Amino acid sequence: MSGKENGKKENKAREIIENYDGPGLRIMEVCGTHTHEIFRLGIRQILPPQVELISGPGCPVCVTPADFIDEAVWLALEKGVTVCTFGDLVRVPGSKMSLAGARAEGGKVQIVYSPLDACQYAADHPEEEVVFLSVGFETTTPAACLSLQEADRQGITNYSVLTANKTMPRAYEALRGSADVFLYPGHVNAITGTALCKSLAEEGISGVVAGFTAKELLAALAIALKKYQEGKPFFVNAYPRVVSEEGSPGAMKLVDEWMEACDSEWRGLGLIPGSGLKIKKDPERYDARVRYGVPKMEGRSNPACRCGEVLQGKCLPTDCPIFGKACNPLHPVGACMVSGEGACSAYYQYALR
Amino acid sequence: MEEKGRVTLAHGAGGKQTSELIDRVFKEYFANPDLTGDDAAVLGLAGGRYAFSTDGFIVSPASFPGGNIGKLSICGTVNDLACMGAKPLYITCAFVIEEGFPMEELEQIAASMAVTAKEAGVRIVAGDTKVAGKGQVDGVFITTSGIGLIPEGVETSGSKAVPGDLVLVTGDIGRHGCTILLAREDFGIEADVTSDCAPLAGAVKAMLDVTDQIHVIRDATRGGVGTVLYEIAEQSEVGVSLDAEAVPVREDVKGVCGMLGLEPLYLACEGRLVVIVPEEHAQAVLAALREGKYTGSAAVIGRITDEMPGRVIMTTEIGAKTLLPPPRGELLPRIC
Repeated sequence: MSGKENGKKENKAREIIENYDGPGLRIMEVCGTHTHEIFRLGIRQILPPQVELISGPGCPVCVTPADFIDEAVWLALEKGVTVCTFGDLVRVPGSKMSLAGARAEGGKVQIVYSPLDACQYAADHPEEEVVFLSVGFETTTPAACLSLQEADRQGITNYSVLTANKTMPRAYEALRGSADVFLYPGHVNAITGTALCKSLAEEGISGVVAGFTAKELLAALAIALKKYQEGKPFFVNAYPRVVSEEGSPGAMKLVDEWMEACDSEWRGLGLIPGSGLKIKKDPERYDARVRYGVPKMEGRSNPACRCGEVLQGKCLPTDCPIFGKACNPLHPVGACMVSGEGACSAYYQYALR
Repeated sequence: MEEKGRVTLAHGAGGKQTSELIDRVFKEYFANPDLTGDDAAVLGLAGGRYAFSTDGFIVSPASFPGGNIGKLSICGTVNDLACMGAKPLYITCAFVIEEGFPMEELEQIAASMAVTAKEAGVRIVAGDTKVAGKGQVDGVFITTSGIGLIPEGVETSGSKAVPGDLVLVTGDIGRHGCTILLAREDFGIEADVTSDCAPLAGAVKAMLDVTDQIHVIRDATRGGVGTVLYEIAEQSEVGVSLDAEAVPVREDVKGVCGMLGLEPLYLACEGRLVVIVPEEHAQAVLAALREGKYTGSAAVIGRITDEMPGRVIMTTEIGAKTLLPPPRGELLPRIC
């Protein structure tokens, strides 16, 4: 397609959005990267007033509850293990302290860019016990499983993972009342395919798989508005360049080999049955909770923080009493302010005020 | 490598081996009539206004695609002087070298400094060498200081931007930061990106030949173009309206930023200036820059306004307006 035709399509999508005069609706973008891009591009400004965009629970850091941080802090300080983690998690507040706090108290916290780096770190430091903090959705879970496979293959015995991996299907059901249309996360669907979203449409939950460029996001929104006006539940894959019907069977098989479904606590949404993953294969060795006998944590977030309601679209970040004051990107109180993909952080960074 | 090929503590002890090191590396490359063996350089300076600046360099790794810490140390100080409109004249340099540093790499660094200084028209007139024990520094750290003459009638400052002025950048942005990130190999990403590190005294002269009415010149180093724009907005108490699509960024840099979630406007540059000029001179300045060796992709990227002083407002590719997120001080360590 020529650039000119591309531009035309983009304009057409924009026209549909700007001229939408149908009934009011709430569209929830589920993915943190979508939240960030929508803010960066200023897409909210071109929406008609009756179209509301809600930032859903799709940033792995944001939905990770305080008790997970407490478990990681406990591992670092009480068991003296080296905690390997993505950088974003380091500043997420736990009940008493963040991992940055644990590091200041002498805990060993190592930032890695992929689970394989954590596994490699374990291989390079056989004298240390190494735990990787495995958070994320369908997109990042295969990489965590790959690191376990690699540890298994190389006979690395000092490596395990603390899981907080989550899967989307049950979350959509839990969120069904929060939005009229979901903007499905293209990266997740690239792994899982589209069968689930199709079956959700049969159950009355509408959604569109969206890509990440301005053009792709505008197209997905235009489709959502058009279809919504028709009045029937719908599903459209507006990111066919990357998302196929069958997804990535190899990645799914790898996850299936290493992990199994479990109940999982989501910050703000509470316990969602069957929405998490835990280690299936040799948990004594690979599941840090089993391996180190991690006690049950009764994590408690700061009660002033309204991240939970933000994640369900029940309030805007700016409605929270501590937003931009006690809670800001340099001193985050809630998880949604920590990650660059969190709704509060996006509001704080990009909103003109 | 045998010990002979490496810098030892004896090279920094002030005795025979120190003078051998100086002769072999520094005198060899830096020789010029003003570099004598005396305790200080003696310079004959005419009356007028001088710019004088100093800068330390600790980049890791010390050598990277498109340059090394030596080239960087000359460019950094030359560009700081050039930002005041000055013609750089003299530079001094102080080295702190880690015991065991390869002699060959030190020679390459000195050679790069000599080439870059020559190109920028400055003379290296004094220096110092210290050797620190293994582990006390990482590789080599260099501090340079420089002095340059400001032509009559030229007065640039971060506080001189006024509403209506246009904002230019002298080339595609973010390459140095991107190069260093990739050179550290933490990410397993490969891309053919080289640092933009370059001496820009010539570019500044070319602009001043067009007009001396240049309000601001700033080099976008560590914090990138975004940080510089915020600094100017604050110092001049003006708003900056930025056209996101006009900002030149190479596709490969965009790609790396996309993968790592970085904003190119906050990636380090080492050979890019932000220039603010009255609108009536902007096209002539831009034309002069586009003739230059390092400034061929210069572009107008925005305008100074009286709206929202202290803030940088971006017009995005879909024509909406958002705040450019202010710099957060989480820049990558040891980038320059």
